Amino acid sequence: MDVSNILASHAAKFQTTNVEKDIAIEVDPGYLTTADFNSIDEESYKWNLEEHLQSLARDGTQALINALFSLPTASSPEGPIAQLPPPTTELPRAKPLPKPKPPTKWELFAAAKGIQKKKKEKKEWDEERQEWVDRWGKDGKNKQVEEQWLTEVPHNANIDHDPRKTAREERKARVAKNEKQRLQNLARAAETTPQESRKRDIERTLVQARTSTASMGRFDKQLEGEKKPRGIKRKFNPTETSADDERKASLALLTRMESDDKKMRKESPREGNIVNVRKAVRHASKGEGAIALARKGEDGKKRKGRR
Amino acid sequence: MRPLTEDESKAVFTKLANYIGKNIIHLIDRPDERYCFRLHKDRVYYATETSMRLAISVARPSLVSLGTCFGKFTKSGKFKLHIMALDYLAQYAKYKVWIKPNGEMPFLYGNHVLKAHLGRITEDTPEHQGVVIFSMSDVPLGFGVTARSTVDTRKLDPTAIIVFHQADVGEYLRDEETLF
Repeated sequence: MDVSNILASHAAKFQTTNVEKDIAIEVDPGYLTTADFNSIDEESYKWNLEEHLQSLARDGTQALINALFSLPTASSPEGPIAQLPPPTTELPRAKPLPKPKPPTKWELFAAAKGIQKKKKEKKEWDEERQEWVDRWGKDGKNKQVEEQWLTEVPHNANIDHDPRKTAREERKARVAKNEKQRLQNLARAAETTPQESRKRDIERTLVQARTSTASMGRFDKQLEGEKKPRGIKRKFNPTETSADDERKASLALLTRMESDDKKMRKESPREGNIVNVRKAVRHASKGEGAIALARKGEDGKKRKGRR
Repeated sequence: MRPLTEDESKAVFTKLANYIGKNIIHLIDRPDERYCFRLHKDRVYYATETSMRLAISVARPSLVSLGTCFGKFTKSGKFKLHIMALDYLAQYAKYKVWIKPNGEMPFLYGNHVLKAHLGRITEDTPEHQGVVIFSMSDVPLGFGVTARSTVDTRKLDPTAIIVFHQADVGEYLRDEETLF
């Protein structure tokens, strides 16, 4: 019996699984991607675009699946699973490289002195217990004195001497000092130039000073060239207030403006005139006033006339 | 549309006080109806409370005008009176200037008031005082600022400027597009 005929007809139904191209398709099973670097066949592209794209996609996918089936597999309840190799395609980084951390004060000092950093293990050998214990953390070596059930008290110790308490306080002080130094390092890293930080300080102080009057700076005289402080939002009265309140506010403003006017008028003659006339009259009349001074003048004339 | 802030109302009131002095109180404290000042697109409107409340329901871009437009705030924050305020200024003006019929047209075309056109002037008008200008038949024509005090005007020659022009009713025609 000749089955070659049947086999041939069966094979004709399916496309071959081999993909043959002028330039071999590059497959990266790690990312499950393929890249086809062949030039586009212009004729088929123009004749039927959809079919052309589909055939391209089919070739790429076939190449990828061929590559997947050649990979080593591991068995699992769902069936064999291909073990993907690490990806070979180099992808560009989405974000810029992180900047190196600014060195701490100790790192600068150590670099200057040539001190090498020694890595400390977390565990430490305890001679008494004959085992490895943590340096810090729960049941750490640094809490050995605090957690001792019995502690020797020196002869000359105070009556209220508490070895647990002193040990604990010392440890806490060390933690606090480290935290303070960490914060100082952070502040040093954030600082740009001394001038800039000084400028920022002055601006902050100025803003604070301007809002530190009894009225939160509302009635302060605006200096020339003074900028409005940033970050303070404008606030308007609601549109639908009662007209009566508005009328009262306007009248109050008018009276305030009037009193300001009077004050201005009182002060203005002083500016042009160096002599304070009122004070001069008071001085000349020895505090009796202008009328008394005029009378005095008249008396003098009369006396002169009589003579 | 929003009520004026304190600085803005101060600017408006000082400008108005230049023409009507203490009579501003009559604008604020009216016996007939409650009136209020409102700011909309840099323009100051003087409107009754009822019309203001009606205007609240109009969207900001759609609201063209309400009440009487008194003037506008310039970009540098100064307040400028417009001719629409003339009705109220004329009613309460402290200092007035009447101009002769032959001076009416030159003034209405935007020129300053010359001494030759001066009909009457309020006694004791100081220099640089806001004044309202009337025709001889007591029709308000506009407003301006005096160049000289009443006493000084007597010595001047007829072509000297007496009142600097600020606004006149001719603007209703000349500046129709930008005025309201």
